Amino acid sequence: MSGLGLADVSCTIESGQFTAIVGKTGSGKSTMVKHINALLKPTSGTITVGDHQITPETDNKNLKPLRKKVGMVFQFPESQLFEDTVEKDIMFGPKNFGFTEAEAKAAAEKMIEVVGLGPEYLKKSPFDLSGGQMRRVAIAGVLASDPETIILDEPTAGLDPVGRKEIMDLFKAQQQKGKTIILITHNMDDVANYADKLMVMHDSRLVGLGTPQEIFNDHELLEKNYISLPQSAIFAEKLADKGFTFSKLPITISELTAEIKEQIHGD
Amino acid sequence: MDKLIIGRYLPGDSLIYRLDPRLKFLITFYFIGIVFLANNVASYAFLLVFVLFAVYVSKVNLLFFIKGLRPMFWLILFTVALQAFFTPSNDPIWHWAFLTLSKDGLVIAAYIFMRFVLIIFISTLLTLTTTPIEISDSIESILKPLKVVKFPVTQVALMLSIALRFVPLLIDETTKIMDAQRARGVDFGEGGLIKRIKAFVPILIPLFVSSFSIAYDLAIAMESRGYKDGEGRSKYRVLNWSKRDNWTIVFMVLVTAILLLLRSYR
Amino acid sequence: MMVTSLTKSISEISGNRDTNLSNDFFLPKGEQMENIISIKDVFYKYPGSDNYAVNGISLDIKANEWISIVGKNGSGKTTLTRLIDGLEECESGSIEIDGVVTDEDTIWDARKKIGIVFQNPDHQFVGATVEDDVAFGLENQGMPRDEMITAVDRALKMVDMQDFKKRDPQSLSGGQKQRVAIAGVLAIKPQIIIMDESTSMLDPEGRKTVINLIKQLRTEQNLTVISITHDIEETQLSDRIIVLNSGKIVKDTVPADLYNLGPQLIEYGLEEPFTNLVAAGLQDVIDFDGYITEKGLIAKLCELNSKK
Repeated sequence: MSGLGLADVSCTIESGQFTAIVGKTGSGKSTMVKHINALLKPTSGTITVGDHQITPETDNKNLKPLRKKVGMVFQFPESQLFEDTVEKDIMFGPKNFGFTEAEAKAAAEKMIEVVGLGPEYLKKSPFDLSGGQMRRVAIAGVLASDPETIILDEPTAGLDPVGRKEIMDLFKAQQQKGKTIILITHNMDDVANYADKLMVMHDSRLVGLGTPQEIFNDHELLEKNYISLPQSAIFAEKLADKGFTFSKLPITISELTAEIKEQIHGD
Repeated sequence: MDKLIIGRYLPGDSLIYRLDPRLKFLITFYFIGIVFLANNVASYAFLLVFVLFAVYVSKVNLLFFIKGLRPMFWLILFTVALQAFFTPSNDPIWHWAFLTLSKDGLVIAAYIFMRFVLIIFISTLLTLTTTPIEISDSIESILKPLKVVKFPVTQVALMLSIALRFVPLLIDETTKIMDAQRARGVDFGEGGLIKRIKAFVPILIPLFVSSFSIAYDLAIAMESRGYKDGEGRSKYRVLNWSKRDNWTIVFMVLVTAILLLLRSYR
Repeated sequence: MMVTSLTKSISEISGNRDTNLSNDFFLPKGEQMENIISIKDVFYKYPGSDNYAVNGISLDIKANEWISIVGKNGSGKTTLTRLIDGLEECESGSIEIDGVVTDEDTIWDARKKIGIVFQNPDHQFVGATVEDDVAFGLENQGMPRDEMITAVDRALKMVDMQDFKKRDPQSLSGGQKQRVAIAGVLAIKPQIIIMDESTSMLDPEGRKTVINLIKQLRTEQNLTVISITHDIEETQLSDRIIVLNSGKIVKDTVPADLYNLGPQLIEYGLEEPFTNLVAAGLQDVIDFDGYITEKGLIAKLCELNSKK
């Protein structure tokens, strides 16, 4: 396998924002986010995270301060659990990053609630839990180190609709507490509902960057099939074919219903 | 993982690729045996020419074979040095404490080195040109006579082929788990030996867990597809013996004859 | 023309649509289809567990029906399909496949009639290459090699993967792996195909191809489809939806009826259909009563738009 995993990508992700990254399987989304906490290093170019710089020469040592700042929830993160109790597993990250035993314990107690499981889960073995509960424990384990930026690689894959919504709301709440969220997803409705900014990847390149509203209105990206539309926008297009006119393309259900109401009542 | 050449298959096509894998498998072992028959410069040179000829016919870049030596480098160096410095001789070139360097010693060291090169080259040639599944089919076919003594040849072969099939998946899984734990602050290259070994616990446990879950899922899937106990199965993949395989045997007989001739030549 | 399509759409909007509509579509009037699967009073408990995973289920499934089985995780969906395929043995009750009650002796014949496509594409790929994997089920039946070669080619063609015959699984996408799994199932010419959340780990593109493939194969091969899913769009393709909760059937109905439940769907591990959510957002503009199809919703909105 030769070729570049990433080619000539330049972008800035603002702190405190919810940025979604979309693109076909194999378009370089995962490769890109792995550069943000130096799991991969660039062959050329630099990545700046706060006051940390990652260059091709970056040493593999002393990456801990950076990795403490950038938490990462991988696809199917439940596969990273290994301790004999949920509590120990959540404490694992914080302790690696220099939390004291007591601080790590406090973080575990706090985070188990944040992910919607009660304190009674702390003493259980993670391997006795259901898949969805294991996922939450793994997420708690990442949040417990109190990262400033949280990278999510399809965190809701394989969950049922209720679980999906709860997990997405959880991350939205984290953003409201001041965290920067970077979400890799295939779900355009999640993009429309949660993201402030949208990045579109294709063939290892960044082909689109803007607000979801801007990107979903980008005809070139749509025609080239680099992205698809959220359900509300698809529905709005069908209405437009039947004579409806929209002032702007609605991408969420509330935008859609607002536009329809205006159309029906309006003059 | 990219560094390991031995055991890796390189897709390609040439006479060597098309030989019956059973024959390739047996010739490899046969060759490793006759390497030990070589006893002088001429016979070693002849075997080297044979191996280089085989590499040439295989159309695989020689660099792959040289890279294949790399993981064995320290072992080769150690063994060669041992032979060079510890061969007793009445006519030493150089002597210090218990170390003796002599002409005899150097010659033996050179022979040992040649053996390493020949054996590693020929086994690399086998794995580069033969898919793992062909190798497991060959083993099944070669072990078939053991069925008489109730050895479960087909089951073992299926186990082997499934194990081979899941190696790349487990490598992916390992990489993923390592990344996840590194993101949680594990540093694999840090601290003393105990600390380094301990750093692997967060990888090994998840890896065991996922291996078991794969095994369980696979067992269910196999049973649902009608796998009973390995008996009464037919085989989709067959190995085809052809004329070129016969000619290869004739060629190997010739090689052996020449080797024996050179061996007696002093 | 305009008027008829409109009235048809409006009849779709009204909640009490004819519940036998979809069955009638496939069955000529008066012809009674045989039950391909008949489950009677089945109970099953996992070893070491106190609760029944399947707690007294009776269910008849007709040939060529498309059944969706929904329910929260742990409601017994997967267990039920495993019982059907004899991968678990029921504690009491009986399961009939194509008229034969399954037991230790008959289960192997029953399995030839049932193919399962599992959730994780990586965990069901037995063969070292695509063709080897498709042949696995045939090898198990002891089919002669020359017959296998035609059967493998035929199955791969059906899922449009014939060009990938020699490829190894690691080089395929998730959707392609699932298509190979489907080919492996089709090779044994089953009457029933069980999709155990087979699309849940795929990207949208892979999901679409797999669903369309099943749709097409069902008609071409006259298959009975049993699909375990959380995807509301997938359930819309089915003739009947079975809702499980704690090992019991709590609903057995046609999709439109189920969607009428509105927000209650969440309790069954489903989300509300998109049209329901839109309709709910327009509640103050217009009265909606239960489930509405997309066509119906568009028609209704157009009607309102033209009236203003």
